[in-house]
Amino acid sequence: MQFIRQTLTILAFAMLSIATFSCQENENPTLEDSGEMIVKFDNYVGNQTMVIDEVGSTNYRYSNNSGQKFNLTRFGYYISHIKLEGPNGEVFIDEMNAAADANQIKGYYQVVQGNSETYNIHLKGIPHGQYNKITFNLGVKEDGIQEGAVGGILDRAAGGWFWNWNSGFINYIIEGHSDASLRDENRVQIHIGGWKNIPSGDETPQRFFDNNVAVSLPFDATVTVSNTLRPSPHIMMDLLKVIGDTDLSTENNIHSPAAGKAFAPKLADAFIVDHTHQ
Amino acid sequence: MKSLHNKVVWPSLVAILVVWMGCDQGSEKPMVSIFQFEKPAHFPEPTYTFRNNEVNEKGFNLGKMLFFDPSLSRDGSIACSSCHVQSHAFADTWLHPFSFGVEDRQGVRNAPPLFNLAFHKEFFWDGGVTHLDFAPILAFESEIEMDISFEDVVGRIQRNDAYKALFREAFGIEEVTGPYVLHALSQFMLMMVSADSRYDQYILGDQQALSSVELEGLVLFRQHCESCHREPLFTDLSYRNNGVQRQISDLGRETITEVSEDRAKFKVPSLRNIEVTSPYMHNARFEGLLQVLNHYTQGVQDQENIDPLIFKDGKPMIQLSEDEKTKIIAFLKSLTDNNFLSNPIFFNSNDR
Repeated sequence: MQFIRQTLTILAFAMLSIATFSCQENENPTLEDSGEMIVKFDNYVGNQTMVIDEVGSTNYRYSNNSGQKFNLTRFGYYISHIKLEGPNGEVFIDEMNAAADANQIKGYYQVVQGNSETYNIHLKGIPHGQYNKITFNLGVKEDGIQEGAVGGILDRAAGGWFWNWNSGFINYIIEGHSDASLRDENRVQIHIGGWKNIPSGDETPQRFFDNNVAVSLPFDATVTVSNTLRPSPHIMMDLLKVIGDTDLSTENNIHSPAAGKAFAPKLADAFIVDHTHQ
Repeated sequence: MKSLHNKVVWPSLVAILVVWMGCDQGSEKPMVSIFQFEKPAHFPEPTYTFRNNEVNEKGFNLGKMLFFDPSLSRDGSIACSSCHVQSHAFADTWLHPFSFGVEDRQGVRNAPPLFNLAFHKEFFWDGGVTHLDFAPILAFESEIEMDISFEDVVGRIQRNDAYKALFREAFGIEEVTGPYVLHALSQFMLMMVSADSRYDQYILGDQQALSSVELEGLVLFRQHCESCHREPLFTDLSYRNNGVQRQISDLGRETITEVSEDRAKFKVPSLRNIEVTSPYMHNARFEGLLQVLNHYTQGVQDQENIDPLIFKDGKPMIQLSEDEKTKIIAFLKSLTDNNFLSNPIFFNSNDR
């Protein structure tokens, strides 16, 4: 009897403390052991800095590998599922959440050329330690689409790049003009999207194409995240790695997963970590 | 020792109970409302993401207001309700085989009815839209429908004080943004559940709900039609070419999957409320149900991707006598859900 009472007493205290603590705001207990990193994206066209011109501009600043001249009136891409890794087993996985409330959107980033605020991705809650590699998904995967209407940078009414006829996001968008394009106003539109694969079977073909691309980049040096150190890797993206060999006289109107498929393998190679600031 | 234990144990247990009850925010049961989504007993689980957008009265009414609002089309002439009419199960009337958008621009496919959308995974005849929330974006932005960017739709709503207040009440937001507009419209459409036809009453146990002719029709239906028009939704949600185009001009599902194996395939439509959704097929080819059955028994021709359940080895696969056709049509008319077609919760209340 005595034993039962004692057990019951201990159990009661234990449950009381569990119940009490579980009611409290869920504070991150390792908050003081985590730091930040700012990942900076710099977009280039070959060795030229990227400039966005007005729609209709005939000032062709750039040329591709076969000498076709072009300019850019819109350029950008989505980044998601960021992961950092370090030499001693450190791992940081950026939290993902798709929601109608723009403040609840987590882990999705839209780099929009011409809007410098979008060039820096501010990662928080990174466990203190050393890091030498970043991995991210270029694009928006199924988890950002099949939750339904989402807000913030994924809201089509607020600048989200979303296909209305074949649901999904444009992972990587290129718009501009080229004298090689014979479309109205020498237009060039290359919208690379697509988020699902239905693989081929014995008697069925592959349907749809997933043009999300995993990008994995080693840093040029190992950096440290601590209370006092907030490192900043600078990632360079070169558009010519993607469309340098594209014939803009024919490939100037890309608007579907299958049409974008040929571009997708080139996307990963367009990104490098140029340098890191400790 | 005993008294100490009593002093400690029982207050502790009470404290646990108090804390637990305080934690349990779900203990207060909400009032049962007619504006809550309820899965019909004989239906499969819904596929809609209710976890992100639960139906409630305020959101539903707001969605209804948007659905009936022509100012959300470019020139203010067309609302969702212009082509989705309740008495026709939210399809267009038989007067419009192809609906008219702004400036009387004519559509290219028959406007589909709207019901049981919570159970579908893909929308429109070609299934290109993969979530109900996204369906209105296409209707707004299509040049032959409402011809307005979704950004402009949201802008017009933002500048409307009445809407602003209603969005605050329904969603607790100060600024109206795209996803909440879509959530409100989805809430209205999700409530369009049609599961109360005489067929349903029969399935749910009322043996008298169907006449003997209708019951014979049901047996024939299950023999000849069920493999595509699967109960209880009366569609298997697949894409098939039933040979309804004489010459293939509309590529259908191929536009979405981008493989020629899907050329001329369209989503199998539900047959619920078929009595009030004439004309039939994506190209509105048939006005009457007898014409439809005649197509399957003798009209269908061999064609690229023709569905083997319909046409194989040079001949139609479905054989029906005239008497059997009559019985199947009698059964199909038992799928009319008059309570749905006249449910006052869907009535336009914008002019009140």
